[in-house]
Amino acid sequence: MTAFARRLILLALGVLAGICAWPAAELILFLQTGFPSYLVFSALLGAVTGALMGAFFGSAEGITSRVKSRIPRGMLLGALVGCGGGGLGLLAGQAALWLIGTLVMQSYGNFQRVVLPLSHAIGWAVLGVFVGAGEGVRAGSLKKIGIGILGGLTGGLLGGLVLEYSRLLFPRMGISRLIGFAILGLAIGGFYGLIERGMSFGILRILTGALKGKEFLLNQRRMRLGRSPRNEIALPSYEDLADRQAQVRIHKGEVVLVNLEPRLPMQVNEQKVLESRLKLGDVIRMGSVRIFYKYE
Amino acid sequence: MTLKLPRAILLAFLPFFPGVAFALNISLAQIDASRLLVTQNVKVYVSVTNDLGQPVEGLEPGAFSIAESSDGVTFQQIPRIAAFTPNAGAVTGITFLLLIDDSGSMYDTLDSRPTTDPALMRIAHAKDAVRTLVASMTSPADRVGLAYFNTSYHLLSRPTSDRDMIAGLLDGIQRPTPDQAYTELYASLTLAAREFAGIEGRKAIIVLSDGENYPYVQHAGKPHPVFGNRIFSPAESITANQEEGNTIYAVNFGIGSVPDRNLKDIALQTGGKIFDAKNRDELASVYDTIHRQVAGEYLLTYRATLTPAEKKYVRASVASSEGDASVTRFYFASTVFGLPMRSLTLFLLIPFILAGLLLWVLTLLRLERKRGPASLEVLHTQVGHPVTRVVPLTTSKTVIGGSPKADLTIVGAPQLREQHATILFDPKDKRYTVVGTGDILVNNQPVKRRTLESGDVIDVGGATIVFDDEEQGAK
Repeated sequence: MTAFARRLILLALGVLAGICAWPAAELILFLQTGFPSYLVFSALLGAVTGALMGAFFGSAEGITSRVKSRIPRGMLLGALVGCGGGGLGLLAGQAALWLIGTLVMQSYGNFQRVVLPLSHAIGWAVLGVFVGAGEGVRAGSLKKIGIGILGGLTGGLLGGLVLEYSRLLFPRMGISRLIGFAILGLAIGGFYGLIERGMSFGILRILTGALKGKEFLLNQRRMRLGRSPRNEIALPSYEDLADRQAQVRIHKGEVVLVNLEPRLPMQVNEQKVLESRLKLGDVIRMGSVRIFYKYE
Repeated sequence: MTLKLPRAILLAFLPFFPGVAFALNISLAQIDASRLLVTQNVKVYVSVTNDLGQPVEGLEPGAFSIAESSDGVTFQQIPRIAAFTPNAGAVTGITFLLLIDDSGSMYDTLDSRPTTDPALMRIAHAKDAVRTLVASMTSPADRVGLAYFNTSYHLLSRPTSDRDMIAGLLDGIQRPTPDQAYTELYASLTLAAREFAGIEGRKAIIVLSDGENYPYVQHAGKPHPVFGNRIFSPAESITANQEEGNTIYAVNFGIGSVPDRNLKDIALQTGGKIFDAKNRDELASVYDTIHRQVAGEYLLTYRATLTPAEKKYVRASVASSEGDASVTRFYFASTVFGLPMRSLTLFLLIPFILAGLLLWVLTLLRLERKRGPASLEVLHTQVGHPVTRVVPLTTSKTVIGGSPKADLTIVGAPQLREQHATILFDPKDKRYTVVGTGDILVNNQPVKRRTLESGDVIDVGGATIVFDDEEQGAK
């Protein structure tokens, strides 16, 4: 799967995450009066929507890395982190909404057209920040957390504004909130895909075997490469590789590839090496797999 | 006397107006919902006065009741008041801003005659009254600020507990020049609202004025030096102060002066009152009344309902042997996702199921590639671009070059020869060999001729091409 296809998958997952979270949110909103407090109501609403969105984003790695066994685990972990992030996020968003709304609520003419949409959008953005950061927390990557925060912030603001203004423009349209959720998910997914690429240290493209054409973004300080599905660069169908064959380290902006199992020699540009500082265009060979290090 | 008006009529006329002239008047000076998310509690500050405008003290918790509404029409009674604090102003402290009119007419006598004797001028009486008020503030928790206005708004001090300093600052209020003698009442009330920014608790502006709003731009016939052509409205001053939770108490100062026609509404809509001060003693007593009224407010804390609403109406009522009264104001109660649907339908399950199904479809994406025939794939070109990105190797000879007749043509790359490299297929041992007429690299090593393996990366004049032969790779 190329980086472009990965972006498309992330976008699709984002939209699906929003679509899936919407009915759950509607159900909880409908039951608002029965909750004991705004605290419990907001926390549960955020936790459920966050968990559903987190589960969808958690499946991304398994789908894009073509390691199916990662999907349920990723979804579960994503749901757990999303649950916490969503709960905290909606509480924080609600607090922000009330703080701003209370301060400016009496601006008569502007209340419906400016204050309410804007304060709602800020509430959405705060929620988005927490939900977006969830995937980074799940993956244990500070960079991904940063990416998610940007995506969540943008998506939340956009989603919230679109929701509010579509509600104002088309008061009878019952799916405004669905559009808002879909945009929130789309933006988070889009940012994961776009900024992840911009913040990476290049791409390893597999040239041979079952995963031919698959591209791995180098976006974490340490990434393991080998047959085990637990590796960030998981190559399960290359049987001559060890479970943990090699490691990619990012050190002072340089990408270093280290062979952890010298029984299977590693070649970079046809030179046998144990460790190599990669340059763009390098061709790596480890047993049956050939890898091309590239930027675009 | 108790008027038994139908509730709907009462509500229609009383959305924001503190008590009407029943035996008891109640005003809802401030709603503090800042702890709503954490504690589910809302605090309301109410003051109760009798027909003489005197604070009614000693009321028991049972005299009060609270109701909430999402639409201002249908109210839900709150079962019990969770906490009741009399004299709440004195307990929590009050932050005042004294706002003094320093327009030209304040330099006339109390009965509106011109005078050159400073002691007879209204401003002198006003300053004396302010000193009296400041001196009467015995609660150490109280803070007071000072500002005055004419054509411009002038802040002398933000709210402080240093009252001596405030009294001393009064001397800084000087007679304005003719160009500075206009009455920008609404603008000043709007600007004064900001002085409370960041201050919590009970906040009140006491504005002392002797005439109507007299904007510079309208009457001087030229733009205001600060506001330009902008004319402030009463609504703006109400809005600005409601935003900050400030109550405005207005004092109409002087005999024969025409009070501003909107000043009463401004005071009422912010939970305050308007007073007439006929002379120095009365003025001093009005200030004292305000102080006692604010200090004597009742603080009612109740557990809010969760009825969905963008803004929640609170109706505070008081009933005692002296009469009853009620007042309604609202606070911001919107939730992040907004109001719920009116009804739920099973159609909501459709997107839920659809999203799950599509996720499942995504997981079924072909995870591994099928083997195909040998091919060349252009990954990247430094200059120019390929006509096709993937070329299957179906013949015994495949030419790569800049010529349109080549099998793999890269256009716009002048460094490429017409036939820069050729891939030859040997059907006997089913091997492919690359032969360069120009410079070529295989796996970054310069070669002239080289038998290819699946996955080899060929650089042809800056074009990066991958040779793929899965059948060979499978051997």
